[in-house]
Amino acid sequence: MGTVFAVHLYAESESQALSLFEVAFEEVERLEEALSKFRPSSEICRINRLAAFKPVTTDPEVFSLIDRSLRYSEQTGGAFDITVGSLMRTWGFFRAEGHFPSTDDLNAARECTGFEKIVLDPGTRTIQFGVPGMELDLGAIGKGYAVDRTVEVLRDGGVNAALVVAGSSTVYALGAPPGEEGWKIHVFDPLDRTRKISTVKMRDQAVSTSGSYERFFELDGRRYCHVMDPRTGMPVEGVLQTTLIGSDGAMTDAISNALFVVGPNGSALLSKFEDVSALSVLTDGSAQRILKWNWPDAAVERSEIINIEPSYGRAQPS
Amino acid sequence: MNRREFIGRTAGAVGGALLLGGSERLFGASSDQINLGIIGVGSRGQQLMRTFLRVPGVRFAGLCDVYEPRFAAGRKITGENTPIYHDHRELLNARDIDAVIVSTPLSFHADHITAVLESGHHVYGEKSMALTVEGCNRIRDAVKRSGKHYQVGLQYHYAPWYREVLSRIQAGKLGKITQVYAYWHRNNSWRRPVPAGADEKLARLINWRLYKEYSGGLVAELGSHHINFANEVFGGMPESVIGSGGVDYWKDGRETDDNVQVTYRYPTGQTLFFSAITTNRLDGDQIRVYGTDGSAVLTEADATIYYEPKRPESAVQQETIVQHGIVTGATYRSELPYLGVGEPVPVPADKMGSPDYLACASFIDALRANKRPEADEDKAWNEGIAVCMGNQAIAQGQRLKFDEHLAKAAAA
Repeated sequence: MGTVFAVHLYAESESQALSLFEVAFEEVERLEEALSKFRPSSEICRINRLAAFKPVTTDPEVFSLIDRSLRYSEQTGGAFDITVGSLMRTWGFFRAEGHFPSTDDLNAARECTGFEKIVLDPGTRTIQFGVPGMELDLGAIGKGYAVDRTVEVLRDGGVNAALVVAGSSTVYALGAPPGEEGWKIHVFDPLDRTRKISTVKMRDQAVSTSGSYERFFELDGRRYCHVMDPRTGMPVEGVLQTTLIGSDGAMTDAISNALFVVGPNGSALLSKFEDVSALSVLTDGSAQRILKWNWPDAAVERSEIINIEPSYGRAQPS
Repeated sequence: MNRREFIGRTAGAVGGALLLGGSERLFGASSDQINLGIIGVGSRGQQLMRTFLRVPGVRFAGLCDVYEPRFAAGRKITGENTPIYHDHRELLNARDIDAVIVSTPLSFHADHITAVLESGHHVYGEKSMALTVEGCNRIRDAVKRSGKHYQVGLQYHYAPWYREVLSRIQAGKLGKITQVYAYWHRNNSWRRPVPAGADEKLARLINWRLYKEYSGGLVAELGSHHINFANEVFGGMPESVIGSGGVDYWKDGRETDDNVQVTYRYPTGQTLFFSAITTNRLDGDQIRVYGTDGSAVLTEADATIYYEPKRPESAVQQETIVQHGIVTGATYRSELPYLGVGEPVPVPADKMGSPDYLACASFIDALRANKRPEADEDKAWNEGIAVCMGNQAIAQGQRLKFDEHLAKAAAA
């Protein structure tokens, strides 16, 4: 998963907290070893090595997460897709060496992309790729899933109030700090990470953010971000950040990514999921606007914010 | 048929099969299906369950533990209503079990593993082999008497980068191996959280690694992997050991040392030094193999070779040191630590995998082919005895010779 996890919790004593941290990070490490595409020994890498040649058996947890991912792919019309790995590789985003690929390379990568080319057999818990060269990349759901499992470990350990954070991707707010209604979570301006654009209080909810501000490259005046549209094989343009609040981290991680891909056309997608709230920051290259969906922060009052600053300036309420 | 229809139908079939319940085979007639039972569904047992379930044709047919919450955790992993047992003897009497995993606290290994073997089942027994020399002897004798297969849970034995380094060592690529220095350095308390309201006995069982009644401490739980590797490098078990250790930082009522250092000597004059600490993780988990022509550094994920600089053919080529007009030395070589780039040990894609997976898959292969596991009772005994001796050397504060100690133990 290749990200920094952090846990903040309330416990009876420091020694109890230290023990809880240990089991929490043990769980993160366990899932890293299962789901990371960066570790050659991981279960996902084993599946990627073999599934083009034969059905590969995996354990119920990994099978279930892959199955769930494919369900999200169907629900989002392919905007979320864990087979996007070969596209990411072709565009150079695995090695932070982004570049515009040749038409042949792009076509070859698109051939290897598509959730519908994955065959699952629940009876034997096997996964098989329909075409050679495919690879699974759980990067857009794995961190959220790891957050969920870590929260479960903490709940089992008797924790009533905790914040589990997976980098800048997903946060779960377990319970609330003593005397508080919830954990205060800030959403930052994608173009100025020191500036908050919204603050919400969350309790027993997850929030995920997808952004184009961390990994991108520029060519001929255009910015290409690392979030791929699996349906076109091209990087998404016109979206700076999407933030989604929902019941669990795997869902918010995956669907915030899908929301990023569909950009301004998110309403149909969001209507398929219960109890979600969303906030997107879009751009046309010179101005930004914010779209919101059931967003709980009344301070973000307008659904559309016109920015008059130059290209990639701040998004500011008008 | 699209994917959802396919899943929907098949899932329905599995649901129907679940209604059979009990010890019925859920996935039907596959003749090479292996049904496993497990005694000890704690954190390590759960990880073994997940890993075994990645091997085709493996299913869990029974879960045994003394702590009720473990059953729900185990069933969550299997995704089935797997039968549960509070007493391991009931599990061993169950129908359809081919082999049993024993992942209980170390002090129970001897009783549980011998019971499994005597009931006619194969066994995958977590490391270390047993808490005592007598326990190691009992297990080894029971394996040989029963004719059943026993694999010890030393998963790094199956790590492809370990095997590759060993093959290079055996081919003489690193010259004469004189030392193995091994570290498992952590910066945590090793203490697990205990649920509110747990009584003292349960609290100690959850944290069994910290109490001598159950545990061989850091030498057993961490050093066993490194000891097994050194045994392979040096071609046998050590002949003597000295050690030190103590509860020096985590003074929280634990009994097993929070830092240990043991030095084993092998009959051919080679040395294994192992250190485990719980207050600094700079060195992490690594093994450094030192040979006259090169070194190997092995980690949990990979291995790297560093070749020694070529020796000059003649002293004439070496630098002459002159201080104040007087020749003070004929040679000069920097002895700063080598900080250059090593040669990563390549692992062919078809051999890559997590050590856990490769160990579990190898055990299942051994059962299906009715062949002896690689990490068998003899390797386990060599490792287990060395662990016991290391802990006794620490406790007694003196050098212990294996042959004298084992002879005394046999006489007793």
